[in-house]
Amino acid sequence: MGKKFSGVSQTMSRFRGWIQAGATLLTNLHLPNFLKGGLYQGAGKTVCVPGLNCYSCPAASGACPIGAFQAVVGSSKFSFSYYITGFLILLGVLLGRFICGFLCPFGWFQELLHKIPTKKLSTKKLKPLTYLKYAVLLVMVFLLPAFLVNDVGMGDPFFCKYLCPQGVLEGAIPLSLANAGIRAALGKLFTWKFSILLSVIVLSVLFYRPFCKWLCPLGAFYALFNKVSLFQMKVDENKCISCGKCARACKMDVDVTKTPNHTECIRCGMCIRACPTNAVSFRYGFGNGKEAPKKTTMEESK
Amino acid sequence: MNMKRIFALAFAVLMVLALAACGTRDNDKMANGSGNGSAMTDEPKTAEEALTLHTELLEREKAILSENTELWEKVFMETDKGMAMIEDEKNYGDFLLGTVEDAKEQFTDKEYEWLKESTTEISDIENKVAELEEKYPEIMQKSMDGDMSMPAGSDTSTPPDDGSMQKFPAFEGKDLDGNTVKSDELFSGNAVTVVNFWFTTCNPCVGELSDLDALNRELAEKGGGLIGINSFTLDGNETAIAEAKDVLAKKGATYQNVYFDSDGEAGMFTMSINAYPTTYVVDRSGNIVGDPIVGAITEKKQAETLQKLIDQTIAADMA
Repeated sequence: MGKKFSGVSQTMSRFRGWIQAGATLLTNLHLPNFLKGGLYQGAGKTVCVPGLNCYSCPAASGACPIGAFQAVVGSSKFSFSYYITGFLILLGVLLGRFICGFLCPFGWFQELLHKIPTKKLSTKKLKPLTYLKYAVLLVMVFLLPAFLVNDVGMGDPFFCKYLCPQGVLEGAIPLSLANAGIRAALGKLFTWKFSILLSVIVLSVLFYRPFCKWLCPLGAFYALFNKVSLFQMKVDENKCISCGKCARACKMDVDVTKTPNHTECIRCGMCIRACPTNAVSFRYGFGNGKEAPKKTTMEESK
Repeated sequence: MNMKRIFALAFAVLMVLALAACGTRDNDKMANGSGNGSAMTDEPKTAEEALTLHTELLEREKAILSENTELWEKVFMETDKGMAMIEDEKNYGDFLLGTVEDAKEQFTDKEYEWLKESTTEISDIENKVAELEEKYPEIMQKSMDGDMSMPAGSDTSTPPDDGSMQKFPAFEGKDLDGNTVKSDELFSGNAVTVVNFWFTTCNPCVGELSDLDALNRELAEKGGGLIGINSFTLDGNETAIAEAKDVLAKKGATYQNVYFDSDGEAGMFTMSINAYPTTYVVDRSGNIVGDPIVGAITEKKQAETLQKLIDQTIAADMA
């Protein structure tokens, strides 16, 4: 346990774009459905994918964890989504926000947009906005669907219905293009969410991953597990020369040497590549990596 | 850089696999779809199969009649003398056979043999066609063109909306209280039937139940009706039926809700719907009128579209 892989860390972060592309494809395997304008409805849809990926994307191979959570918590039959919460906790412990950096299709989408060459703006001064996503998680994903119910005891999936830009991008747009019935059903709600998507697109060009930083409830959930997750960032204090290059390289505004496992860290590994002395690396296992060698020496001395 | 190439290759393989995986599904479906028999002996299971068979039979009859034109001309000349036999609903083949028998001496032995064989076959075809039309009354108006056994000008009133009419899939199911419901009986008894697809945990679906109930009352006065099909209750799932009944009662919806087997034609149709609620308008002969309405009719736009389709169908039924 507690093995570190500096070489592997470098490679992983270098080929992150490819891993993101592969994950996006695996999350959306049923590509011909884009032409048919229908959804895949097989057994895969009973399982959640790790990233934010709309159930109503014609190609989607699984369900969106946030969508599924709201559907269950808002249904009259169940009071809380135990299975989905358990699944999310498991993913949080196993991977944490590594999912945001490597596996989430919407994260990748924002990163691709950010590659469009324009003047880029820093989000450092907008730090308070990062707490907004916890409010989105608590209010729109949990409280409103669970407690604002109609006479039959059903709640609306507030996040999906009123906020989620991924739903418009993957669900509403391709479905309405291929399916006349759905096209006829588009109304004010679509206009509203389409403008949210447009804002996120424009902001993504200027800022790095604005949706992940400020709004994403899934990111917020995984963020809570970043500190205890088995997937960790490790800074080797013996190698670190405190040059501050990692903090400058970090696009999620994390001071890597001080708080390597900050809630905002998405394990993209930009700091790993920025470090001149290879002091920063990924680490997988129990403990925080610092105490582990000490413990063994103590045990040996006994 | 070599690594990059390997990744690109792996990615390409993944893409191909992804497409291949989806491809096989389609092939399976196509294999299931084909294999519809076409011989005289085949018993059609659905209205659509009956329609295909019906058309094929009439084609065959046409082919026989156009095979030996000169000889047939001779026969038709004779029929003029007999006259007025087509009017009453006698089998056209039998009628021709009778004519041939009467004018036996006019033909050579060979000609007589051939005519006898052909008229007997036509007679068989006519019998089969009549049987089909009795069983599936809706195919009458669908196979109109070039159909010689059709009474002229019978049913051209229903305006084809955009090209061809699509049939609502036939079903034999039950309502939530266990009474048998047959689609052909249901549709033929109503000037217009509104079919609403919903499921119990769908909020917008449940939201429109009371509006649908009001619509059902309104339709009943105009000789129409409304049914609900709850996708959870297919195959008679008991808990699902109990839950659906509970929700319907809470919403004060009293109209009939129907379920059937999920592997039948209508079952497949239901499973292929992936936006709920979806509402269909069906005319007396079981044709779907216009496009399905996606989204709850609590929305003004959907309610207006639905009303337009209902009015159109009732008007066509009266014409």
